[in-house]
Amino acid sequence: MIQLFRVSKSFGTSKALQDINLRIRKGEFVFVTGPSGAGKTTLLRLIFGTEPPTEGQILIRGINLNRIRRTSLDLLRRRMGFVFQDFKLLSRKTVFQNVAIALEVTGERPAIVRKKTHQALKAVGLSKKEELFPLQLSGGEQQRVAIARAVVNDPLILIADEPTGNLDPDITRDIMILFRSINLRGTTVIIATHSQELMKDTEQRIILLKEGRMLRER
Amino acid sequence: MGLRNWAYYSKHAFINIFGNRLVHAISIGTIASSLILFGSFILLFYNLNHWMLEWGQSLSMSVYLQDEIDQKTKARIESLLKNLPSAELKEYISKDRAMEDLIDGLGVHSGLLEGLKENPLPASFEIIFKDVNIRQLDPQGMKEEIEKIEGVQEVQYSEEWLDRLEGLVYVLKVAGFIIAGFLCLAVLFITTNTIKLTIYSRRDEVEILKLVGATDWFVKMPFLIEGAIQGLVGGVIALSTISLLFLLFSMDKVHIIGLPVLEIVFLPMAHLAFIILLGLILGLIGSFIAVGRFFDA
Ligand SMILES: Nc1ncnc2c1ncn2[C@@H]1O[C@H](COP(=O)(O)OP(=O)(O)OP(=O)(O)O)[C@@H](O)[C@H]1O
Ligand SMILES: [Mg+2]
Repeated sequence: MIQLFRVSKSFGTSKALQDINLRIRKGEFVFVTGPSGAGKTTLLRLIFGTEPPTEGQILIRGINLNRIRRTSLDLLRRRMGFVFQDFKLLSRKTVFQNVAIALEVTGERPAIVRKKTHQALKAVGLSKKEELFPLQLSGGEQQRVAIARAVVNDPLILIADEPTGNLDPDITRDIMILFRSINLRGTTVIIATHSQELMKDTEQRIILLKEGRMLRER
Repeated sequence: MGLRNWAYYSKHAFINIFGNRLVHAISIGTIASSLILFGSFILLFYNLNHWMLEWGQSLSMSVYLQDEIDQKTKARIESLLKNLPSAELKEYISKDRAMEDLIDGLGVHSGLLEGLKENPLPASFEIIFKDVNIRQLDPQGMKEEIEKIEGVQEVQYSEEWLDRLEGLVYVLKVAGFIIAGFLCLAVLFITTNTIKLTIYSRRDEVEILKLVGATDWFVKMPFLIEGAIQGLVGGVIALSTISLLFLLFSMDKVHIIGLPVLEIVFLPMAHLAFIILLGLILGLIGSFIAVGRFFDA
């Protein structure tokens, strides 16, 4: 599903990632962890195709991101959900509209858009706040809107950058259950976090990054 | 998929316009003013051409007769003139009539003529050429032919005067094209910048649309429609204003001393459609430029 061959990424002289080799199979549930500045966000962005690698190749479902055409990348994005570390919600749009946008771009029927958007917001426990605007929500609620937007179109790959950073333990547990259930339906899930709590007592695969290098895997 | 997307595009185009009301109002105002100027030029040229044709159709010739010709010669000249192609013999002006006209024309200065012992003015036949394109006539050739007729003193026609008018129209046309070109550029500049402003104020939305897999066209379309609407509304406003001005001006027919009554004619449908179309196209091109610049960057 996802393959990285000798991938490096530099910003100017600073090397955010160095020589990453990685293979993530369909339906896997993977944690990416490491200290702040280790390159977790950078790795996720490379996989999502918002940044090109400085060196190396990235293949998503057999497609080389270096050679992909713009329109194919757009289509690929529709099959991927991304929960951004800074949420990236539109403050002028309601919670409902923020989530619906991911379906609207695919040209989905309005009735289906409504149904799926309601479902996704219900799954993150925000049914009652659909008509509010992001700035009227708490940080944790905004994060859940971002999660709802990422899962609303049943992605093949779900990428989440610190998805529980602002959530209290109860909601964190709910969100993790949501990710698990999405994973059980066949979606590949990649989560970046430095929360040991989140990874504790799981048998999941963990990729540890430090200073841009892959230290070990479990 | 098509229809649904169009609904989305239009909705967002209107949201954009409404969200930036003031900028759009200014922009549409500028587009409308430019197009009003542009339309007025077209209206002016259209009427100049129209008037020229009218005058061409009534191109006149004065055939001056020698003094002391007999009735038979006069009748012969008259019938020859009548037989010229598309000519119409308007009137015969006798020596006395010519003098009267001159005295009338001089008005208070008619005293100047008092010292004259005899009438120096020739009698003349006035001919007009009707329903004929002036360019198909050869006034100089005709003049020479007619002057060969026995009893004819001289022929004068109004071509020189038309030449000068044509020159004027030509100069106006060139000036008009240059000004129209600048106006088009101004409209382009305005729409491009308005749309750039909207895109800029929506850049977070553009970013997120791309992140959730919108195609470039999906993102661009509302901005293109926005530009088109701007141009279209500007065009409609311009056309309404021109029509209104036309109605005001055409209440009275224009009289210019010595010239025939001028009738202002309004533009035909094709020209009207052109003004609106021009607004639409300029709006579209402007937004294309804005969108292109933004997406390249
Ligand atoms: N756009 C950028 N321009 C310049 N440097 C960047 C950019 N993005 C990331 N970096 C650098 O790359 C390195 C890795 O950053 P990254 O955001 O991937 O870390 P992270 O592991 O996600 O950290 P955190 O846990 O704090 O989110 C950092 O040193 C950062 O300064
Ligand atoms: Mg990060």
